Amino acid sequence: MHTQFFGNFLLNKGIITPEQLIEALKVQSTAHQKLGTLAIHSGYMSAIEVEDVFITQTHYDKRFGELAVELGYLTQEQVDELLTIQLPNYMLLGQILVEKGILTHVEFEDLITEYKSIYEIYDLELIEEQQHMVDKLLSDFYLPEDLPHSEYILSYLTLLFNDLVRFIGEDFTTLNIITLPEIPTNTCISQEVEGSFSFLSGLDMEQDTAVAFAGRYIDEEFEEFNEYVKASMEDFLNLHNGLYSVNMSNDYSMELHLQPPAEHENTLLSTDYPFYLLPIIFSFGTINFLFSVKRIEE
Amino acid sequence: MKDVTILICDDSILARKQLKDSIKKCGFDSFLEASNGQEAIDLYKEHQPDLVFVDIVMPIKDGVEAIHEIRGFDPNAHVIVVSSVGTQTQLKNAIMEGARDFIQKPFTDSGIKEIIKARFEGR
Repeated sequence: MHTQFFGNFLLNKGIITPEQLIEALKVQSTAHQKLGTLAIHSGYMSAIEVEDVFITQTHYDKRFGELAVELGYLTQEQVDELLTIQLPNYMLLGQILVEKGILTHVEFEDLITEYKSIYEIYDLELIEEQQHMVDKLLSDFYLPEDLPHSEYILSYLTLLFNDLVRFIGEDFTTLNIITLPEIPTNTCISQEVEGSFSFLSGLDMEQDTAVAFAGRYIDEEFEEFNEYVKASMEDFLNLHNGLYSVNMSNDYSMELHLQPPAEHENTLLSTDYPFYLLPIIFSFGTINFLFSVKRIEE
Repeated sequence: MKDVTILICDDSILARKQLKDSIKKCGFDSFLEASNGQEAIDLYKEHQPDLVFVDIVMPIKDGVEAIHEIRGFDPNAHVIVVSSVGTQTQLKNAIMEGARDFIQKPFTDSGIKEIIKARFEGR
């Protein structure tokens, strides 16, 4: 969950003004995470307990962790563990707003609970039947043995199947992933995603398939392949990778940066790393999803 | 409104169309279009539009660089960032460069209306 989502959420609820949000974003890069915020984030303490420690701190010159242990809210092991955790950006934004007196800890905790429930609906809004289909696809899936960090790839594919169901339709099935040194393309859009997990992703399909794909994606009829069809492919890939980078920020505190999409028409696509090709068969044609892992930092 | 010009900068022709369609509903129909940051800078210097919408991730020159140069040329430039999902760091940089506000894709007509209203209310 990126700061911008949580920031927008607070703006839409009228909790903060745009000026307050921009001010908080400006100081975010230099803000230090506080143990109290970490304890709320990890579920070890409630906001009321954190407030209690802060009040107690006004009577005793002791550190937050020390007092939290004395008051029985945390164990020393939990304090040690919290000191190794990195806060997601949205929690840091909340902490800044609390420090500026715009929110109390209790209000912040309630807003985070509400925000998370909305986000989860947004992320997994599929009806039960559709979710079963995605689960089935994933359970039948086999990932090539040479694929590094398969948990990242699996979460990427889970999101891909969810996004296909959500934005294109559920009438598809997949074949197993093929590993190739290079890919001969038809109409292909690629996007590089960079960070401590860097990869190239791509969508490749025949023009007729692209016309149908775009029609479903933006809910508009296209008679022939044109710039809008190509832009629809780019938009889908950009949205999917954007959502994935949000998930990676949330789940692994990993910041990924999207590069502009690129076009490769009827050419041979190659990188220094193997390509993984996933054929996705829709009723209107076959989409080849391409993936090439460039770098993973341990 | 005849005397208002709005510059839309996005490398996606689809995004530019969607944004234009949404702004037209607010009664504005004079647009300049750029598909990368450099084009946006050149068009801004030539026409000095009343409002600029700029995407962040673009080829040749990205939105953050474009905002930097536009604001260097005209410190009063009114620039709104249209950010895609997953561009948090760049969004923060864009705000540091002086973007007035931001809206996230996929945007809604009401979100665009709020921005237009804030910029042109009373004109």
